Amino acid sequence: MQSIRSFSRFPAFATLALLAMMVLAACAPWQPTLDDPEIAEQVRAPEGGEEPSGLQVYPLRNPAVRELESAAEAARENGDFDRAEALLERALRIEDRDPELLQRMAELQLSRGRWEQAESYARRSWELGPQVGDICRRNWRTMALARERDGQVVAAARARERVEICPLEPPERY
Amino acid sequence: MASKPRRRRKQRSRSSKSKSSRRLPRWLLRSLLFALGLAIGLLGPWVWWLDREVSLRFADRHLTEASRVYARPLELHDGRALSHRDLLVELEATGLRAGSPERPGRFRVEGERIDLHLPAFDFPDGHQPAQRGAVRVRGGRVELLGEAAVLRLPPAELGRILPLDDRVRTMLELAEFPPLLVAGAQAVEDRRFKHHFGIDLRGLARAMWANLRAGEVVQGGSTVTQQLVKNLFLTPERSLLRKFNEAIMAVSLELRFSKAEILEAWLNEVYMGQDGRRAIHGFGRAAEYYFGQPLEALDAGQIALLVGMARGASWYHPLRNPEHARDRRNLVLAMFHETGLIGEATLQRQRQAGLGLRPSLRSGASQYGAFLDLVGRQLRSDYRDRDLRGTGLRVFTTLSPSAQRRAETALAEGLVRVESEPDFLQGAIVLLEPDSGEVRALVGDRVRGRHGFNRALDARRQVGSVIKPLVYMLALARPEAFTLVTPVADEPLTVDISGSGPWQPVNHDEVSHGKVPLLEALARSYNQASVRVGLAVGVDALFELMRQLGVAPGRDAHPAAFLGAVNLTPLQVAQLYQPIASEGYSAPVRSVREVVDSDGETIARYPLRLKSLKQREALALVDFALRRVVTHGTGRSLSRLLTDDPGVRGKTGTTNDRRDAWFVGYTNDWLGVVWAGRDDNKPAGVGGASTALPVWAGLFNELPTRPVRSGWPDSVEWFWVEWPQPKLAAEYCDGAVAIPFIAGSQPEVLSDCLERRGSGPFNR
Repeated sequence: MQSIRSFSRFPAFATLALLAMMVLAACAPWQPTLDDPEIAEQVRAPEGGEEPSGLQVYPLRNPAVRELESAAEAARENGDFDRAEALLERALRIEDRDPELLQRMAELQLSRGRWEQAESYARRSWELGPQVGDICRRNWRTMALARERDGQVVAAARARERVEICPLEPPERY
Repeated sequence: MASKPRRRRKQRSRSSKSKSSRRLPRWLLRSLLFALGLAIGLLGPWVWWLDREVSLRFADRHLTEASRVYARPLELHDGRALSHRDLLVELEATGLRAGSPERPGRFRVEGERIDLHLPAFDFPDGHQPAQRGAVRVRGGRVELLGEAAVLRLPPAELGRILPLDDRVRTMLELAEFPPLLVAGAQAVEDRRFKHHFGIDLRGLARAMWANLRAGEVVQGGSTVTQQLVKNLFLTPERSLLRKFNEAIMAVSLELRFSKAEILEAWLNEVYMGQDGRRAIHGFGRAAEYYFGQPLEALDAGQIALLVGMARGASWYHPLRNPEHARDRRNLVLAMFHETGLIGEATLQRQRQAGLGLRPSLRSGASQYGAFLDLVGRQLRSDYRDRDLRGTGLRVFTTLSPSAQRRAETALAEGLVRVESEPDFLQGAIVLLEPDSGEVRALVGDRVRGRHGFNRALDARRQVGSVIKPLVYMLALARPEAFTLVTPVADEPLTVDISGSGPWQPVNHDEVSHGKVPLLEALARSYNQASVRVGLAVGVDALFELMRQLGVAPGRDAHPAAFLGAVNLTPLQVAQLYQPIASEGYSAPVRSVREVVDSDGETIARYPLRLKSLKQREALALVDFALRRVVTHGTGRSLSRLLTDDPGVRGKTGTTNDRRDAWFVGYTNDWLGVVWAGRDDNKPAGVGGASTALPVWAGLFNELPTRPVRSGWPDSVEWFWVEWPQPKLAAEYCDGAVAIPFIAGSQPEVLSDCLERRGSGPFNR
């Protein structure tokens, strides 16, 4: 998880941005700015940007998907969102149920200002994912940010609560 | 139609007026002079206008260069489900040939191992250089041998289309035509092409002389340029005015464009017969249509046949008039020989040879014709005309060549197995990737490569019980009123319909089954119960849902619609099932991913989108019921027919008097719709389970599939229940079944089984 460590250098900024955004979301309809690379970082580096805590699930993943995903990540860091999206699509066509992949697409859609798609991908990732640990928090953080920016204040607050209660252990199944 | 072409109507010589003008009165001379002046005054602008038309329209024709259409690129990676045979089909469709993998574009098979050298390709997301790779296919799974984790094959070229034109062509550049064809066509049609200026007075004179000697028309006097003008700009009527226009325009064309441009245009435009409603233009397309081969693969005899046809594609049609065609071909071969294009040996050999037609592959490279048809329509409906008019577009589509091959085979072989007499039935198959809605295969005729009536897109037929899942979904979206175990009365009922009197639906077996759980009513396709469920949701709601999914249901909102008295095409049925098969995420069924212009700029693309349906939870319940159809219901014969059941869900459909048979079935990877029936819509003795389902099973046995994994929303919860009177039970109770419910809608009454044990269902 190289990327998380590199984002953790900006905890103060992330907190400020988050606060500013919540204030704005509460009082005025947000004017979406397209292609905002910062916003996805708030998903991965939350307040404080600590190392992922609780149970982490690292399932065996398709190497083809991993390769395309890291190429997409590189394109995203270069600001080439079109290419990043095309690469993630290729990966999704190979493995359309990979929760990590779906979450990455959600974060990319968030960066591009497509709130509805960001929320849909994050929700799909959560549905198919382990629903615990770091990815669970990223799922709900994405949904919260997307809803905030989309002006759905109440729904966003609900998603925020879900971030906090992402279990550390897998839920009991019966 | 089959009139002998280009017969020149002999101009009756004008009545003699050759008397000396000295005898003419002065007033007559004056009026003649006046007429001459008038003619020149009119002629000037007329010629100017013709010249302008020619230059504009010929240049415009160049702009509408055909768009190349590509299949979806195959991605090879570890674990990809794909058979060895399908991989070879894909490689060959991509244009790779067996050979030493030292060279790009070649592959070599050694047992399970395939070494390949992929040629470079310009993808919409960038240039992919040529690369070598090796794969092994073992047990239906791909294994990459080498560094790369993923190998993307260049996509197969499916054909070329002009989306805004209903003529079929395969446009080629002059250099792509075989030299024998280029030289031979000139030798036969216009020997002095290189030297004349559009009209050939010497050639005309020679042709008339030859015709006079022979007493019939043996040679035409039109130049290639004149023929092109006629083909491009003029109506086929024969008149002196048209002949005059033709001459002026031919000269104008020669002045403005090079010989090479004119010849190339003629080779691509000349009329070569009909393919159903569509006219075949150009030698490239004709080669594919008549011989099932690209032009460069033709032998001298086949080229001679085509060159001969240029004079009159109807009269020398090799299928309708094989005798004329053969005589003409041999004459053309003789001319080839006479002009030194072929040697004596070739002449003798080819004269004896058959016509070389391949009727089964008559549509040749348009083996993808049914799919290209869909691509053309979707381009026209989704893109602006001016975008499609661009030159040299590249259209990236969703077709899987190997799945297409499997689907064609499954329909052809499947119908033979289920029909009572040969060629009694027709059919269609639509195969989608459910999550994206992308069409992977489309078959509109049982004969591979025959391209006429495209049943997958154009056969609007009653759908029968295939509609029912939508009706039940609307009911289940009201969990306070309906769950999968809600008892429904399968008993006779009368529905009063204003205007058409009472309607009394009956069951297929003409038996009523009393109170049945909703789940069983759907799985066993009981009509009377279904109408009761339908009346609770209303026809309007059903039609609204269909519209929401992008399918126009028609206007007649009769309750018989609950039983499928709605006319839909197989493609529309696929659209209705797409969200069911993709766990509630709806996507338009589509064949195009992206269109790129000649500079590599994307004109438009359809990105992957997730759009969840608001009835998602109800769909989860329907999905469960559709599994029940193939385990306990009308589709239970499927388990016998499938070699391996990955967890298929499906629904049968049969219409009144057994006219139509439908089966729709899906897994996570595939959604397949099969229709079978008769084109004349007569009773065909078919049934969803007996006719369409076996065809479907034949297809799915050959497709690479993975076990179904469901990912429904967590508001769907599972409980053990008993029926007919729904009660909450537990796994250990006799006859209890695990059933999904929308949270909170599960039965509250406890089973006696639990009462006896004195425990609730979850505190064992």
